[in-house]
Amino acid sequence: MTLKTFGAACALTLGVSGAALAEYPERPINMVIPYGAGGATDISARTIAEPLGAAVGKPLVMANVTGAGGATGSVAVQNAKEDGYTMLFARVGSHSVNPAMKATLPYTLEDFRFVTVYEINPVACAVSPSSGITSMEDLIAKVEEGGVTYSSSGVGSLLHLAAVMVLSEFGVEEPLTKTTHIPQKGGGAAATAVLNGTATFLCTNSSAIASFVANEQLVPLMVTTAEPVAGFDVPTAADLGKPALHQLVGWTGIAGPDGLPDDVADKWGTWMASATQDAEFLEKMTSRGSVIELMSPEDANAFIQGQYETFRKLVDDLGMRIEG
Amino acid sequence: MTQRQVQMRLGLGALFASLFLAFFAIPTWVSSPSNVGNVILSPLFWPYALAGFTGLTGCGLVFSGLRQSRHGPPVNAPSEQPGAAWLRLVGMALIMGLTMVLLPRLGMVLTSMLVFVSTALLVRTRHLITALVCAVVVPLVLYAFFAHVAGVAIPQGNLLRLP
Amino acid sequence: MSFVDSIAAGLSLVGNIESFLALFIGVAIGVIGGAIPGMSATMAVALTLPFTFAMQPITGILLLLGVYKGGIFGGSIPAILIKTPGTPASSATILDGYPMAEKGEAGRALGMALWSSCTADVISNLSLILFAGWLASFALSFGPPEFFTLILFSLTIIAGVSGESLLRGALSALLGLLLATIGLDLVYGTNRFTFGDPNMMGGLNFIAVLIGLFAIPEILAMVWHPTAHVGKARSLGKNWVTFAEYRRSFKSIVRGSFIGVFLGSIPGIGAAPSAFLSYSEARRTSKNRDNFGKGEIEGVAASEAGNNGVAGATLIPLLALGVPGDVITAIIIGAFMIHGLQPGPMMFILNVDIIYGLFIGLIVSSVFLFLIGTVAIRGFKYVADIPKRILIPAVLVLCIYGVFAVNNNIFDVGVMFVMGWVGFLMVRYHIPAAPFLIAFILGPLLEDNFRQSMLMSGSDPTILLRGPITWFFWTMTLLTIIAIVRAGVRAVKNTPLFDETPEN
Repeated sequence: MTLKTFGAACALTLGVSGAALAEYPERPINMVIPYGAGGATDISARTIAEPLGAAVGKPLVMANVTGAGGATGSVAVQNAKEDGYTMLFARVGSHSVNPAMKATLPYTLEDFRFVTVYEINPVACAVSPSSGITSMEDLIAKVEEGGVTYSSSGVGSLLHLAAVMVLSEFGVEEPLTKTTHIPQKGGGAAATAVLNGTATFLCTNSSAIASFVANEQLVPLMVTTAEPVAGFDVPTAADLGKPALHQLVGWTGIAGPDGLPDDVADKWGTWMASATQDAEFLEKMTSRGSVIELMSPEDANAFIQGQYETFRKLVDDLGMRIEG
Repeated sequence: MTQRQVQMRLGLGALFASLFLAFFAIPTWVSSPSNVGNVILSPLFWPYALAGFTGLTGCGLVFSGLRQSRHGPPVNAPSEQPGAAWLRLVGMALIMGLTMVLLPRLGMVLTSMLVFVSTALLVRTRHLITALVCAVVVPLVLYAFFAHVAGVAIPQGNLLRLP
Repeated sequence: MSFVDSIAAGLSLVGNIESFLALFIGVAIGVIGGAIPGMSATMAVALTLPFTFAMQPITGILLLLGVYKGGIFGGSIPAILIKTPGTPASSATILDGYPMAEKGEAGRALGMALWSSCTADVISNLSLILFAGWLASFALSFGPPEFFTLILFSLTIIAGVSGESLLRGALSALLGLLLATIGLDLVYGTNRFTFGDPNMMGGLNFIAVLIGLFAIPEILAMVWHPTAHVGKARSLGKNWVTFAEYRRSFKSIVRGSFIGVFLGSIPGIGAAPSAFLSYSEARRTSKNRDNFGKGEIEGVAASEAGNNGVAGATLIPLLALGVPGDVITAIIIGAFMIHGLQPGPMMFILNVDIIYGLFIGLIVSSVFLFLIGTVAIRGFKYVADIPKRILIPAVLVLCIYGVFAVNNNIFDVGVMFVMGWVGFLMVRYHIPAAPFLIAFILGPLLEDNFRQSMLMSGSDPTILLRGPITWFFWTMTLLTIIAIVRAGVRAVKNTPLFDETPEN
């Protein structure tokens, strides 16, 4: 124990003077992915790991720490040493929807220092073809009639909040009582629930339902971005006159514990700048429907904070916050 | 322990557990939002149902225990030296407890070496030298496999940092 | 395009050395990965995924499918040899496989596991090829109410794996159900028994519980009585499974395969319940039912048929609907998407060559599984010859590494230890572990699907009777419960008061 404290003290003093960390990284960096293998975050993380590893010059060890909607993995990084050797692939669910919705969350946004946001995922809403709904107006009309349900990958997920936010933006008052939320375990199950008629609609990352849309198993209604999304022949939020929905996008970023030294954050900025230039990476990500948009640490923080505040306001207005 | 004792102890244990769950554990450790519309949708419904079933099973076990003879044959083979056996179990519990303390500090490889040696001694192995060799080799081989082939971030210690 | 054309197109796609090599390597990786506890088929597939990015789509996907198939079989090797299931799906194999190993019949058990796995694999692949369209439409008619009734029926398996006392089996199942409630509530996201610990919020890790329940009690029993094993034959022996034994178990293997195909084609159930269901059905109908749980070779055959029967069939919802049935197929779907392929109905029109290429590859994979499995059993047989008091500490260390690797979390190692003590107490009190495990898997599914049904209908319980599928499972459940109650009543009647023999 004393040895550890001594070591930590050393690292701290040296860190301030910058001598020891001048050589950062001198060993492999642990990259925590707070979601399971095969998910959007996992694929995104493992795709950037290749060019990023080349830029860093040391191996990146990818570790999936799943559980509680990303909270278990996030806490692992929150409690890690602030030496830049444990970093987190933060995601919209774990770092803006969850903090906005869950009072019981064991961390807040202040516990992390974001070094970048590199990927934006448009959100799309879709219904099953058998529902007879073809446009947002149809959906809203159905909602007013009652009996409309929506699926999500769980309470406090992006999908949960997205459905409520879209309904609320389209003028549905009290969306929580007019519609029913049917949470599922995971994003795949959420899409299946709409396919088999368990739920009426869902709003999720466009990449998660792109194949269902291409196979005409799901009918898209809108996308939340200003620009159209390839494969989704539907109006954008801008076309529909709902610019407030542009905030509603998925993203993936990289964060460290709160006390991450400045020079480490700077290094990540340089590495990410070169990693996101990689042609293969760009091609793979864009073919999956992601928009690659590299943000500096300051921009990333502002972006996440802005999204958090929008979500938090909606959650508070509707009384959706989960206490206890 | 006879068959009757087994059923009786389990039955009484289940009854106690059921009461503990219903009157203390569930009210204290399961939170439920105030706006639950219907009682069957409440997060409390399923745990309470389980507590009820546990109670029923407990009653069944006590009942079946009462039907059995007081002097049945013992269900477990007797241990040769119960005192030493209990001591060894306590020793194993200590090893497990220490493992949890040491894992984040010493790292997985060194801790596993210690676990290997102490467990081998605890079960009084006849092959002491082999055990010592294995205690060094097995954790190292597993480390090499999990860290370098499987790409798992095996915890490293403060004392020893393997490549 | 005619059927022959499709096959020719498929053959031209896979008829090259790389495809078969990928498949072969995949099966080999799978068998080894599956044989390492904690590594599991899921992790083996996840680790292989990045290597497929640079390959041709069909080669990469065949590699992953090979890993998957090999992994499901590989899991039975440690299940039989060291009582530690390599993958969750092989936990049913322990029930009879490990007692066989204790009797010095590990070779027979492993041989039967392999033969049964390969047979089930072939049946599963053929079902995929022949009935994909039909079973897929069936899969989508499974909403929460149908799932609820299916799982309710599956819970009656508990009666079949309870051993000597049904009540103790029920107690074991309840313990499993209670521990499965730990974590965040599905509908409201509130805490249940988490004690504010973020590690508990995700629920107890399934593999940590599984290994804790089976492997650690074995270690504790050794600590309790270090010389209990001395004098017992434990080596693999010369004995090997005979064709007569295979023929005797053939009915159970076919039944298990079809149970696997059925449960595999419905997304969200997975291989472990299928293995248990197949096992309990085999026990129910077998002439040797009293020998089940004590080293009955038919039990091994049935469990392995049940879990391998799932492997081909999970591709039905994947290929026909684009819906992953479990974590492994979710990863494989990722591989399709990376190559710009979108599984679903359109794929049967747009990429029919790939579909048929996969079919051909799958058929070949069963052959590879047989070849590699035979070699692997020969390789792993030395485990049975290791002195037990060296093996036990090695197993403990292996479990620590493996359980950590599942979720990169030291907390899970603690869960494994604690569950080990629970499991040890259960052994001392003759409480069977299998009901615990089934309940632990199915309990959350039962609760979630019940509540989802209630959400769908606005708390109207009649939704649970909404169609023929639900009626079918309700009838099956009722029939099974009646049979169980009658057997229980008969057992009580046949046991006079204060008799020396134990009841039930």
